[in-house]
Amino acid sequence: MKPIKNNPSPLPDPPITVWQTTSFGGSPTVYTRPLARLIEQLQHLPGVGPKTAQRLALHILKRPEDEVKALAMAIVEAKLQVGFCSVCFHLSAEPVCEICRAPNRDSSTICVVADSRDVIALEKTREYRGKYHVLGGLISPIDGIGPDQLHIHQLQRRVSQQKIEEVILAISPSVEGETTTLYVGHLLKPFTRVTRIAFGLPMGGDLEYADEVTLARALEGRRDLE
Amino acid sequence: MYLKTLHLRHFRNYQDQQVEFSAAKTILLGNNAQGKSNLLEAVELLSSLRSHRTSRDRDLIQDGEAVAQITGHLEKDMGAVDLSMTLRQNGRRTVALNSLNLRRQLDFLGTLNMVQFSSLDLDLVRGGPEQRRHWLDSLLVQLEPIYAYVLQQYNQILRQRNALLKAMLKVGSEISHDVSPSSSELALWDAQLAIAGSRVIRRRARVLQRLVPFAQSWHQAISGSTEQLEIRYAPNVALVEDEPEALQKAFLEKIQQRAIVEQHQGTTIVGPHRDEVEFTINNTPARQYGSQGQQRTLVLALKLAELKLIEDVIGEPPLLLLDDVLAELDLSRQNQLLDAIQDRFQTLITTTHLGSFDAQWINAAQILEVKTGHLLEQEIF
Repeated sequence: MKPIKNNPSPLPDPPITVWQTTSFGGSPTVYTRPLARLIEQLQHLPGVGPKTAQRLALHILKRPEDEVKALAMAIVEAKLQVGFCSVCFHLSAEPVCEICRAPNRDSSTICVVADSRDVIALEKTREYRGKYHVLGGLISPIDGIGPDQLHIHQLQRRVSQQKIEEVILAISPSVEGETTTLYVGHLLKPFTRVTRIAFGLPMGGDLEYADEVTLARALEGRRDLE
Repeated sequence: MYLKTLHLRHFRNYQDQQVEFSAAKTILLGNNAQGKSNLLEAVELLSSLRSHRTSRDRDLIQDGEAVAQITGHLEKDMGAVDLSMTLRQNGRRTVALNSLNLRRQLDFLGTLNMVQFSSLDLDLVRGGPEQRRHWLDSLLVQLEPIYAYVLQQYNQILRQRNALLKAMLKVGSEISHDVSPSSSELALWDAQLAIAGSRVIRRRARVLQRLVPFAQSWHQAISGSTEQLEIRYAPNVALVEDEPEALQKAFLEKIQQRAIVEQHQGTTIVGPHRDEVEFTINNTPARQYGSQGQQRTLVLALKLAELKLIEDVIGEPPLLLLDDVLAELDLSRQNQLLDAIQDRFQTLITTTHLGSFDAQWINAAQILEVKTGHLLEQEIF
């Protein structure tokens, strides 16, 4: 007996109902298979647990079809098109990113960060008009990441071959961040002036509420009153 | 300070238990495995955020429950504080002071101070050096909570440096012993290890310096001034002068000296993770040669010194937790301990029977019977 051919969907799964135990509540919940699959996929996203995944999935099902398609396309296209800038390794859809191409930015200053997220954060300040260099992580032998796994050689080449006035190291003051800062600092010292961003009290923060670690840092990084 | 109430929910074998401590001394009486030590463990967690029995939070949560909660009402000279701690199966914790959730757990430390004394503490003298380091570190965290951060940084650097040494060991067996690209990377970890390690060493030296006179005078009192106790801090990197720069320099020099051994072993052998604290009685090392009685006297003297030092630094008497240890002390040591604490230190005592206690301990004490995770108030005449 042949099944009736009325569904041209490439997905072979029939819309049967599966019982699945979720991690919350302990009671079994009913999802049809495609929905279960969507929830499962959403749960892989950072910060999304079973509850949020279910909420997102049900929300997606309520939206009109073209909106959902647009979302799916956006995800796929972003993944396929966005790569790394060949100069600074910031996320970019072009071989060279917009910041590196911008003619009005100061190309004699490079700000070194660990991650593309840090570029975005720094850009939001609208304070910095130089170029960037994204290392793509921090030195961490535990994770098998040494200087060779990061974009450090490319940075060294940039600094040694171009006319760079200053390199600003903007890396978090964690144990790994500190080591990376020291490493990059030593490496670039022979070529140019190397500075690092200051750490200390948050703006609008009261001195008495600052913790000892931050306060100690802020004391270390004190400077003369102009 | 005085812990007025303690409330345990889904903690270990306690379903939902509220305890009110109504006397300076509380005796928790019960058979084994009823929950006496669990109660002390809850107090330990409120004090140090750690348990000496487990490092996994799910061990602390009652079977079949997702969340455990410990809350306590603590009366201090400066006013009352409500402490609360929530433990989850996945290991995430929330701590709150006066119902205000703290962003950093470090800020929770140092609120409730306590000295713990259990039968395991005899290992402080007999056991390996890591026991003594751990003892010193726990005391330091209570006196200077920032030390928890200092130590955590040091341990993280140590882990990273060990991982690098191990990786170099693997590569080294394939390539010649020339200057590999990793050696400049190693130098960075050396520098960081020296900075963080010096902080650890200086703080350990400082706390011992203050603790030793107390321990010596207690030891003299307990042993009837027949024996002379010496406590010597033997840091892995010798502390010649108490200057951060000088110590860091000595640290780096020692790393240089031991570099070949380190590269062969693939692990860090220089630093405060190899520190030792030496106890000697009449010039003989207590660890190998001390008699059982001498070792007990020594541990008791150390614990009394801890009480005194915390009281001195914090400005009010800490709690004393005696876990199954009182019955192990003979009557004269029991009395000495009692004399020392009087009613100034709130004391929680666990025991399986009251028989071996001096009557003075039982008088005026609150006695709680512990039975399968329930507490019953007992009247004893």
